[in-house]
Amino acid sequence: MTLTNRSSLFAGAAALLMPVAIGMIFFYAPLEKTMGSVQKIFYFHLPLAFSAFLSFFVAFVAGIMYLRTRRQVWDARLAASVEIGVVFTTLVLITGSLWGKPIWNTYWTWDPRLTTSLILWFIYASCLILRSAVEEEGKRATYCAVMAIVGFVDVPIVFFSARLWRSIHPVVIRSDSVGLESSMLITLLVSMLAMLAFWIGLYKFRVSLQLQEAAANELLNPKD
Amino acid sequence: MSSLHQIRFLLCKDLRVELRKKESLVSMAFFGALILVILNIATGIGKQVDAETGAGILWVAVMFSSVLGLGRVFAREKENGCVAALLISPAAPWEIYVAKALVNFTLMVLSELVLVPVFYVLFGAQLQGTPLTLVPILLLVNLGFSVTGTLISAISAGTRRNEVLLPILLFPLLLPLIAFAVKATSAALAARPFAELLDQLEPMAAFCVIFAVVGYLLFPFAIRED
Amino acid sequence: MNQATPESNKVDSSVFLTISELRKSYGSREALRGINLDLKRGEFLCLFGPNGAGKSTLLKILATLLRPSSGTVQVLDYDLEEHAEKFRANLGMVSHQSFVYQDLTVLENLEFFAALYGVQDSQSRALELLEEVNLVDRYDMPAANLSRGMQQRLSIARALVNDPALLLLDEPYTGLDEHAASVLRDQLQKLHSRKRTIVMVTHNLRRGLESATRLGILAHGKLTYLQEKKDIDATAFEEIYFKHLGAA
Repeated sequence: MTLTNRSSLFAGAAALLMPVAIGMIFFYAPLEKTMGSVQKIFYFHLPLAFSAFLSFFVAFVAGIMYLRTRRQVWDARLAASVEIGVVFTTLVLITGSLWGKPIWNTYWTWDPRLTTSLILWFIYASCLILRSAVEEEGKRATYCAVMAIVGFVDVPIVFFSARLWRSIHPVVIRSDSVGLESSMLITLLVSMLAMLAFWIGLYKFRVSLQLQEAAANELLNPKD
Repeated sequence: MSSLHQIRFLLCKDLRVELRKKESLVSMAFFGALILVILNIATGIGKQVDAETGAGILWVAVMFSSVLGLGRVFAREKENGCVAALLISPAAPWEIYVAKALVNFTLMVLSELVLVPVFYVLFGAQLQGTPLTLVPILLLVNLGFSVTGTLISAISAGTRRNEVLLPILLFPLLLPLIAFAVKATSAALAARPFAELLDQLEPMAAFCVIFAVVGYLLFPFAIRED
Repeated sequence: MNQATPESNKVDSSVFLTISELRKSYGSREALRGINLDLKRGEFLCLFGPNGAGKSTLLKILATLLRPSSGTVQVLDYDLEEHAEKFRANLGMVSHQSFVYQDLTVLENLEFFAALYGVQDSQSRALELLEEVNLVDRYDMPAANLSRGMQQRLSIARALVNDPALLLLDEPYTGLDEHAASVLRDQLQKLHSRKRTIVMVTHNLRRGLESATRLGILAHGKLTYLQEKKDIDATAFEEIYFKHLGAA
């Protein structure tokens, strides 16, 4: 199957890039002056957050495409990206808390970005619960597509509403400039690349697994 | 056959059943009042709450009681396969959506007629704002809750775990609306000028519009079988 | 908009419903695998078949509850999917579910559906139907308090509220008591004599044979048999039916 080949291609790229990224984080990137070694978690935190958001965007597109075409492959794509998105958001929250404890002196604070991530986690985790609660394939796919679309529409509103709480989250990447030294930036870019390759590999793997699972179900429980 | 007529028939049918049996209304008001009492005990009997805590308490009670009524709105249609009967009738899915959202809106308004007075009796001693300033906030939340909730309840009613799934799916989506409502309510309860409320009321209205459009577009998919 | 259907032996001006190459699949499962069928106005088609043959799926597609995966259904030269809303006004359906509201009275149920279908005087229409199904004396009883047989008669009346041009029946005889069954049979005969088109799906051979004008057998998502009833006798059909089941 070409799908498996391509997914192993990205998995291989991730397997190569990931150690390189880790090496660069610890041996290439300089130690941040005020925060010290805790700051290094940022090189994973940001790529994770970006990939998580990418997952939800993919789920949104897959949801729309499923409702338009009713093709099973879109449901598999949606399921894969929501799953990965929830796992990555969990990691974003964990890495953020680990960083926040020494820097903000608390694991959790109601900052807009934290609040947004947490609410997103709830929205998409509920979508996974819904998936497990519906057995009929067609119904499950339609319901999850609707939830993925509604959830994504909610994202900007969630972020806007979270601004009711004052932000203490560092803004590293602005539209006009990047608040990073060049070696830090290169490390970040390599980590980002590694994470994206990892994301794509994982995604392709989960999509093909979803489709195989459906085919296996079909063989085990034929309709007649 | 105009859409307005269809919506009216659907709405009257549901309200007639509701006012006859009163099962949703009674359980909504009762459960909401119960939550208020529990929260009164939880915050410490005899202690006065400030405007911000009060706002939070009010919205906890409204959210949790409303989700009870919302669950029934669709469960009733599923009983004898009536949803299918509506779908094969000339009533368009979006007309069903509007009617159901209006039913839920009405139920929320009626139950709040009980909940808000109970809230004032239990927590009102230190609150300066008049209950009247709460009206626009309540109406906007009711609207946002109904347009979002009707869409989600069509989904949850299609599963075998309606009552459990409904709040799990709905509350995360409503969190931004509730955040604005709490902020606005605490301003209202502290008798701050109305202009301050507007900063919250506008995004709440935007939430209602966005989710009404999303519901209108997606409800036909959520309610159908395939 | 004329298309060549493989077995278009009777395409004439009075064709009411045309199903061509209709397929429906759930995931990779195929419930319907290419159905072709023409129905003339006033025909009464009864489709037999074992569970899982795709009978209900076919009926749900005709009722616009499901969309076909491919293929078309045409009603009087209109595509069913495109003109679903117009078509629904002329559609009636009796299913094994009653489609009535437990908490409304008998009369309220009928009035509500009559109103939804835009029937002019919904109350007199409702009363007229109650007369036909022998439920007039129960008009103000909540549907929940009716006996099962009465509920079934109510659901028959409900399906007729708009005097449908096409009536679909999904296993209507399942669990029907004698009275309700005879009411249903009488109503079907009445509709049939008024040139209404009827499609019934059942696995009850006796009930199906007694009123249909055309018989079909659906097995594994395909129409394996289709014949005018006047061309065959009932006992022969029974044999054919079991032979088809055996072959399938």
